[in-house]
Parts: sequence; C-alpha cells; structure tokens
Amino acid sequence: MDRNVCVIAGGMSKWGVRDGSQRDFFQEAAKACYDDNPQLNPKEIDGLLVASAYTERTSYQTHLAPLVAEYVGIQPKNICARVELLCASGSSAIILAFAMIKSGQADIVMVAGGEKLYTPQKWEIFYSELASVDHDWDGGQGLGLPPPVFAMVAKQHMLKYGTKKEHLGVVSVKNRRNSAKNPKAQFQTPVTMEEVMSGRMIVPPLTLYDCCPITDGAACIVLAAEEMAKDMTDKPLVYIRGTAQASVNNMSANMPNWTTWEALKIAAQQAYSKSKVDPKEVNVAMTHDCFTISEIIEMEDLGFCKKGEGGFFVADGQNDFGGQVPTNTDGGLLGCGHPFGGTGIRQGIEVTRQLRGDAIQQVPNATIGLTHNLSGFIAAHTVLIYGREVA
Amino acid sequence: MSTPGISILDGKYMVTMDLFPQQSKEFNQIYKFYEYLKEGRFTTTKCKDCGSEPFPPRVMCPDCYSTNVEWIDWPTIGTVIDVTEEAVGVPLGFGKPPLVHALVDLDGKKTFFVRIINCKTGELKSGDKVKLAVFDVDPVPQEFGREVINIPRVFYAFEPVK
Repeated sequence: MDRNVCVIAGGMSKWGVRDGSQRDFFQEAAKACYDDNPQLNPKEIDGLLVASAYTERTSYQTHLAPLVAEYVGIQPKNICARVELLCASGSSAIILAFAMIKSGQADIVMVAGGEKLYTPQKWEIFYSELASVDHDWDGGQGLGLPPPVFAMVAKQHMLKYGTKKEHLGVVSVKNRRNSAKNPKAQFQTPVTMEEVMSGRMIVPPLTLYDCCPITDGAACIVLAAEEMAKDMTDKPLVYIRGTAQASVNNMSANMPNWTTWEALKIAAQQAYSKSKVDPKEVNVAMTHDCFTISEIIEMEDLGFCKKGEGGFFVADGQNDFGGQVPTNTDGGLLGCGHPFGGTGIRQGIEVTRQLRGDAIQQVPNATIGLTHNLSGFIAAHTVLIYGREVA
Repeated sequence: MSTPGISILDGKYMVTMDLFPQQSKEFNQIYKFYEYLKEGRFTTTKCKDCGSEPFPPRVMCPDCYSTNVEWIDWPTIGTVIDVTEEAVGVPLGFGKPPLVHALVDLDGKKTFFVRIINCKTGELKSGDKVKLAVFDVDPVPQEFGREVINIPRVFYAFEPVK
C-alpha cells in the first residue's frame, strides 16, 4: 500500500510563559485543532504520536502518549507512543505519522507536541538543558542548549563570509514583526533594529533578540489518508510530499563544519528529491531560527541562496514577504517561542495554512512549503516538504 | 543538606541531577579515561584492528565495529581557533559569568569546543595555546551492599598556557 497523506486539521495553545501544566496545554492545543476542522470526528482518530522532550525532567512524566490520549478524548487503536528528538520531536512525529498512514498502518493520526518548561524555580530549566547535548562530554563543559555554540557559529560565519551583526538583526525584526500579528505567539510586540542592536549581551555577538526564549505550550496536527481526508474537510487538501532527517555527528568534537551544516544539506537533498521539488520552487518556509544566525545558514544550506550569502539574502528581504521565499511567516521560534516538542507541529500548521490560503499573513498563491528543524548540538536536521499537490 | 519542597530527599544523591558523568567501573566501562585524567593524561581508545581513534572513547570501534581497542594518549595542549564568553544563562555549577568556551584545535586530532578556566574576560584570543586542566568534582556516594562509599571524581576543562 502506498497512499497519499494530507493534513486535515491543526491548532495550538497560546505559547509563552504560561499558567498551567503540560496536560493543560495539550488539551488547549487539541481544542484549537478540533475547532480548526468541525468535520473531523476525534473519535475516528486511530493513532496518536506525542512529541515532548523534557516531559520526564520538567513534568516528571513518562509514558506520555496514553496520558495525552485520555486527556484529549481519543482512543487510538493503531499507534499510541511518544517520539523524542528534542527541538525536532514534533517534526519527527509528523514524519512517522506520515509513514504509518502512507503504508496503511493507520488512517487518521494526531500528532501532539508540547512542553511545560518553566519550573517553580527557573534554575532547573537551564540545568536540565545539560541533558540535551552529550551529557557526559559536552554537558560537563557547561553547554546546555547552547548559546555559546551558536555564538561560535556566528563568529565563524562572520569571519568567513562577511556576515554582519545587522544581518542577524534583520531576522529578529522580521520574525518579531510576524509574531506580533500571531495571537498564539509568545511575543506580541515588534522590535526595531535600534532595539535589537542595543539588546542585552548574551554571548557576543549574540544579544537578547538573537535568541529564542524558553516557552510553555503545545500544538496538534491531524494527518489522514487522502481518500478519507476528502470527506473530512471542505478546505483545500495539503499533502506531505516528502520528508528526510539526517545526523552525521552528535558530540561537539565531531562537528564536521561549523558554518556549513552537512546533515542539513543531506536532509534537504533527500527531501527535495523525494518531493520532486527544487529549492527555487519553495514558496514559503518555516526554518529553525533558534538563533538569528541559524536562519541565515539555513537559507544557504537549504539551497535558497549561495553559500556564504545568507546574511545578504535576508538583508535584501529575500526571505520576507515579497521576496523569494518568505520565511517564518508566523514569527518562527524567535517570535512564537520554542516548547521543543511543539515547534515542528507549529511549523506544519503554519505551512498548512499558507498552502490552504487562510494564513494570518498570507503568502499569495503558495503551493509548496518547507519546514526545517535542527536539534541538539546542531546534531540532526529534519526537513518536510508540503504541497497543494502530491509529488 | 536539605532539599526544599521534597523533604524526603534530604541527604540523597540523584544521578538525574548530576552535572558530571559516573566514573566508577560499576557504572561506566570507559572509567579508565577518568583514571588517566587524574594523572593529567587526555586519552581515548584506538582500534587495534583498523587504527581508528574516535572521541569520545568507545567500547566498540565506530568505523570497523571491532571491540579490540586500546587506550592511547592524545595531546594535552591545543591552539585556540576562536573564543566565546557567555554573559547570561550560565547553568548552575559553572561559576559566575562569563563562562568562557573556546574552539580548540588539539594538534590536528580533533577540534574541541571546551570550557576555559583560570582565564579573565577578554584574555584569550585566536592563536593562543591552552592546556588540559583537571579538577575535582563532587564524589558520588555509591552503594556497595549496605555500605555507601564515596567515589572520587574529576573532570576537565582547558586553561591558558602562561
């Protein structure tokens, strides 16, 4: 069996520094998802994949998927499990749901991702981040979810390619402008270039607005086989065309290159090939802007511009509305925040809306969309390509 | 010792909250790395079959999958490629900001991104030499039957060569 797979619903909780628990946010996200498509009967969902990275550390809860199923009112019969790949947990779960439906192992799968990251004492979240890199080697060097790593990436990229601090600033200003129009985003106010350039120093050259925040929240998306999807929504169908995920190293000492992300290039090539899409055909992208420099390198390694020209590409407005590939149109991680397991799902929801034509800030006539996550010590890259038509 | 909010944990050791790895042979088959570290040596495992020298040290060679490995010494002095100084967000246990890291070329073996200690803000620059710095970290109170024995531990960073 080889079926086409569509997105039929998606929704998210409000993201930010939230009152509430992880299970509260999963319910809020599921409610928003159900409201997105009243034709979907949640009782017909036959699979659930839950994406959460820190559930054991900050919510002291393992075996999460059956708990979420109980709370969101579904009784899966073909799959009910959790998927973890830190910042890419959500997109990893979407890939697996896609594969299960494509192969006939499930028909309608909900992918739910989220985290409660803020703890009653804030030190614990930074402390817990030491579990996200190779704990025994990089964790012992004080590298959590590591601003120093991306600061080093930025320094090296600036040195090698002439990328400027102002280029980083363009990314912050763009994504905060977009998040200010997204009521679910953590940050509801735009920032000016002056504010960005005078932001509080975090790790030179990265200042406050170069870094995504810590975020509570959740998101849900529902995928279905095409033949069922047609009867379950009046909105245009959005297909997953192709996916890939690559890793070539984990520990810092094994990074092949700091300014070109080899695993991203591999994942992108695989996803483009399976999707029969050329980078120049991508109309809208959600890329992993955990730090501003990340979005710049992603423009290069996803093939949207030449290597080394990412800073100039963003400064020229080429990844903003009206440019070649509007990117992070909902605010990205810099604007929406980043509850790890939720992020890939948020990206999938925004790309779905862009391709359906009902995004808050619409890219005109978008037919092909891309999402990208990086995770850990830039150790794995995940790329999904969505389209109004199948590959 | 007290743990506010969880009074029953008073005096208990928690592996899930430990910054540093387990270093006893009961909990880590590459415990020799830490024994050598205590002697000021920076080591890894070399595959006796294919000659590969991976880092971190392994039980199995990741290139030819042999388990026939031996310990070898690596250089303890490297050259700084670039430096970062973290002013905000330093995790508990890593001192007062800034937390300094450097990308260090360990004499062509590997490029390490490591913590730099005994170094003032702005002191370190590209091209400088740094050397291995070994320091004690908290021992682990490990149970042996009914006995609890403190297992001494060390960890490493690098420091400027002065």
